[in-house]
Amino acid sequence: MSPSLDSYVLLSAALFAIGFLGVLVRRNTLVIYMCLELMLVASTLALVAFSRFNGTEAGDVFVFFILTVAAAEVAVGLAIIVALFRARQTVQVDELDLLKK
Amino acid sequence: MTPTAAALAVLLLPLASAATITLFLGRRPQGAATLSVVTAFLVAALALWLAFSGARFSQSWEWLRLGSFSVGVGIKFDDLAALMLSVVGVIGLCVHVFSLGYMAGDPGRARYFGGLSIFMFSMVGIVLADNLFMMFIFWELVGFSSYFLINHWRERQSAADASKKAFIVNRVGDFGFLLGIILCYWANGTVSLGTVGQTPPVVFSRLIPLLLFCGAVGKSAQLPLQIWLPDAMEGPTPVSALIHAATMVAAGIYMLCRVDFLMVGQARQVIAWVGALTALYAALCAITHRDIKKVLAYSTISQLGYMVAAFGLGSVGAAMFHLTTHAFFKALLFLGAGSVILGCHHEQDIFRLGGLRRRMPLTFWTFTVAVAAITGVPFLAGFFSKDAILALSYERSGAIFTVLALTAVLTAFYMLRLWKIVFLGEPRSEAASHSHESGVSVTAPLVLLAALSLVGGYWRAYPGGFGGVFSLIPEAEGAARAVVLATSIAVLLVGAGAALSFYRCDGDDSLKVGFPSLFGLLSVARTSFDTAYDYYVAKVQQRLAMVLNFIDIVGLAGVVVRGLAGATEIVGFGIRALHTGRLSSYVYWFLGGVVILWAYAAGVL
Repeated sequence: MSPSLDSYVLLSAALFAIGFLGVLVRRNTLVIYMCLELMLVASTLALVAFSRFNGTEAGDVFVFFILTVAAAEVAVGLAIIVALFRARQTVQVDELDLLKK
Repeated sequence: MTPTAAALAVLLLPLASAATITLFLGRRPQGAATLSVVTAFLVAALALWLAFSGARFSQSWEWLRLGSFSVGVGIKFDDLAALMLSVVGVIGLCVHVFSLGYMAGDPGRARYFGGLSIFMFSMVGIVLADNLFMMFIFWELVGFSSYFLINHWRERQSAADASKKAFIVNRVGDFGFLLGIILCYWANGTVSLGTVGQTPPVVFSRLIPLLLFCGAVGKSAQLPLQIWLPDAMEGPTPVSALIHAATMVAAGIYMLCRVDFLMVGQARQVIAWVGALTALYAALCAITHRDIKKVLAYSTISQLGYMVAAFGLGSVGAAMFHLTTHAFFKALLFLGAGSVILGCHHEQDIFRLGGLRRRMPLTFWTFTVAVAAITGVPFLAGFFSKDAILALSYERSGAIFTVLALTAVLTAFYMLRLWKIVFLGEPRSEAASHSHESGVSVTAPLVLLAALSLVGGYWRAYPGGFGGVFSLIPEAEGAARAVVLATSIAVLLVGAGAALSFYRCDGDDSLKVGFPSLFGLLSVARTSFDTAYDYYVAKVQQRLAMVLNFIDIVGLAGVVVRGLAGATEIVGFGIRALHTGRLSSYVYWFLGGVVILWAYAAGVL
């Protein structure tokens, strides 16, 4: 017996929550970035599951687009983090508090 | 040249001259003087041509329109304006020519002649204006020119103070004038001099003339705003002759004659009494002054009071007639005084002059003509116009007649005192003993004005005809004629005889020596207004201002302004605590926001 829709959605929610928790508690920008990607993938999983159980292919097509855009986004994001490190010699978010000053 | 174009030229030529001098001739005093005098000559020639050719017209253009409210500019050139324009032109020319000699060598000459030109422009504007708004604009412009020229020797503190005093005191009167114009517009729907009187205003008919009269009280130095005119003598003497004797101060009378149709009985009564009391008060003040120009200034106030009284008694003709003759002989008196001052190295104290009869014969003779004219020696200009006013008051009001006759006695008294002390006896100072007659540019205007003072009273001989004005001159008939004539001769003999026999040509005032208490009383009366205003401003108004300032600082600045800023600051302080600058705290806020949104979407909230 194949898994029900609920288990897919639960898995997706769990992955999303883990990613969000990571964003909340981690201090390293790189790790936060990885957690963000995890949240993105969690939502993609839900999309594919809904698409399969509704019998449409639209969700699968969406996922291709999302992955493509995410790859581009990662390239830009990593470039920003590298530039940030060059400027500040750190990627710890505690030390990136210029907004307050 | 059409009359309209000529009138526009008379108005705009002085403006062009003033602009040229200000922009291009500031460093070339000779050029500025020449341009200004040539302009004055053209203005005088065109004004006389317009007046004598009998051209009478009125033309108006719309200036601005705001809904149903419209303001026009225009020219109303009737007999009244023609007469006034001739006076302004002739006196203006005399004073310009006189200034060539009087101001020679003054470093500020270019500025001075520019000021004279801007004054001529403003004064002609008042004369030609065909509505009260336009008149008010030029009214303020003459006020400015007066301020500018009193302040000519600006390095002197007294001149700076006098110019400010003149300007501020005039503002008080002008405020009433402006209110009167606004009320007139409200009641009549127009302020055009051509149409305003056609339907008699129903409301405020008593208030409007009195408010308009406020303007004349300020400009023509009537009680209680007469205090600025004696101080205005700080300006150069030709300016005193032109602005503060012959034309600008007479503009108040001219304006009253312009709005004659708005007058009502009770307002006229107030005006007549203000004029009569001013005449008497100023004549009393003139008796004790030592400064030749200030005696003449009080004399001017007194004669203006005469004109105002004549107007109040109901005769535009008598007021304008006296205005005309007064312009001739008072300008002559001032220019004569200027010649004396110039010849005696700026000595103005009459008790340090003396004996000028032989040293300055031309000035002496022309001054004598002017003194004879103002005191009312028969067949000179002042005799006819003063008689007309006396006859009028004899007919209308015995009390005012008495006051005016008394004033005439005092006029003869203080004028003869001045004349005797300045010109007779022996020189009493170094300056007076080295005095000399002035050059031709100074004496030529004196001779011309002396001629006018001799014949100015024969209004029937005026070419061109100012019938619209002079037909209104009252003439006494029968017994009244004899009474008025006898009175005017008697007051002349009493006043002149008393002065000639009483005053001694020595270094001190005979009145001060002989009757010190009377002299002291008159001096106190002279300064009483200044003292009272000083008390009011320093003690009453200043304290009120301090209270208001306190309220402003504590109430407005303290509570309202600082309070608002403080409240904003406190809120900002609180909100700033939310900005930690830490990424994770923003994410918490984000989470909170999402939860609230979700709860709202799910219907929990």
